[in-house]
Amino acid sequence: MVVYSFYIFDRHAECIYKRRWLPRPVSTVGSKSSRPTSEASAPGLPATLGQSARTTDDDAKLIFGTVFSLRNMARKLGGEDDNFVTYRTSQYKLHYYETPTNIKFVMLTDLKSPSMRVALQQIYINLYVEYVVKNPLSPVEHPGGIGVNNELFEESLEQFVTRVLS
Amino acid sequence: MAVFSLIIINKAGGLVYQREFQPGLRKLSTNDYLVLAGTFHGVHAITRSITPKLPLAAIPNPPITPTTATTPSPNIASPSSTSTPTPSSSSASAGGYTYPNPGVPATGLESLETDKFRLTCFQTLTGTKFLLFTEPTMANIDVVMKKIYELYADFVMKNPFYQLEMPVRCEAFDRNLQGWLRGRA
Repeated sequence: MVVYSFYIFDRHAECIYKRRWLPRPVSTVGSKSSRPTSEASAPGLPATLGQSARTTDDDAKLIFGTVFSLRNMARKLGGEDDNFVTYRTSQYKLHYYETPTNIKFVMLTDLKSPSMRVALQQIYINLYVEYVVKNPLSPVEHPGGIGVNNELFEESLEQFVTRVLS
Repeated sequence: MAVFSLIIINKAGGLVYQREFQPGLRKLSTNDYLVLAGTFHGVHAITRSITPKLPLAAIPNPPITPTTATTPSPNIASPSSTSTPTPSSSSASAGGYTYPNPGVPATGLESLETDKFRLTCFQTLTGTKFLLFTEPTMANIDVVMKKIYELYADFVMKNPFYQLEMPVRCEAFDRNLQGWLRGRA
């Protein structure tokens, strides 16, 4: 199974973390641009990842709009306690997990992957809470899109995705 | 084995048919259903546009258009190549890219799962969308979808009084749909 990308949105609809993986890790290892982008505008990243017309920023916004609309739709039809879990197209699957504090975790994977709800929950509990929330230096809110700029979190997320999920 | 409801959206995103078969989902007002149809129409288009694009490795042939990608390149043939990366380390050449599932055209949302229901979307070649709400555990939804499309073709499209893209008010369609779904349950 392949993980294409991973996003975290805070409760103000701000993308506070995004990370994309290529199916060919060899070509990116060692190059500086393969570092996770936490900043809103990481220079030199988007063009190398095959998305020339649209930047990763725009992608994050589109993904947020999508999951936001679908989540509201699920709530409208299924009741307030219903949760949107996943959707799939002919090309990819999108998994969604929302914490009680309205932090949204989104992951795009290939079609063969099973439900990632537990995995996203683990990322939240074991990585996000441990390394970001419990870090006294990490800001609670992220105005201006500084985002999660935390080496420990990024490293362990990398490990989690490459070792646990594949 | 419950089919909750069916919604048909025309190619412009307008709601043309909405019917509930079994209780299970909350009832919305007509206006809310119209909003839902329009929203879904938009989201459907966005989900297609956010399909991950995988940069093509340096393959001998020039990159081909992604919608007709059928080249048996070793890189794009197996989307699960994370653990077995190709040795070539050149970056994406000339912005060429492929979709994860080459050979299959990129579609929008096909099925959506929540805790309470599963939404299956079938888009016809002409752009009409059939949204079927079922239980999350229900199997063989494509059979149901196919039959519904068949009934739609028979009783709506062949109805000489039906105006294209307008709300479906065909009693025969209602009757047959209801009858078939009841016979199945």
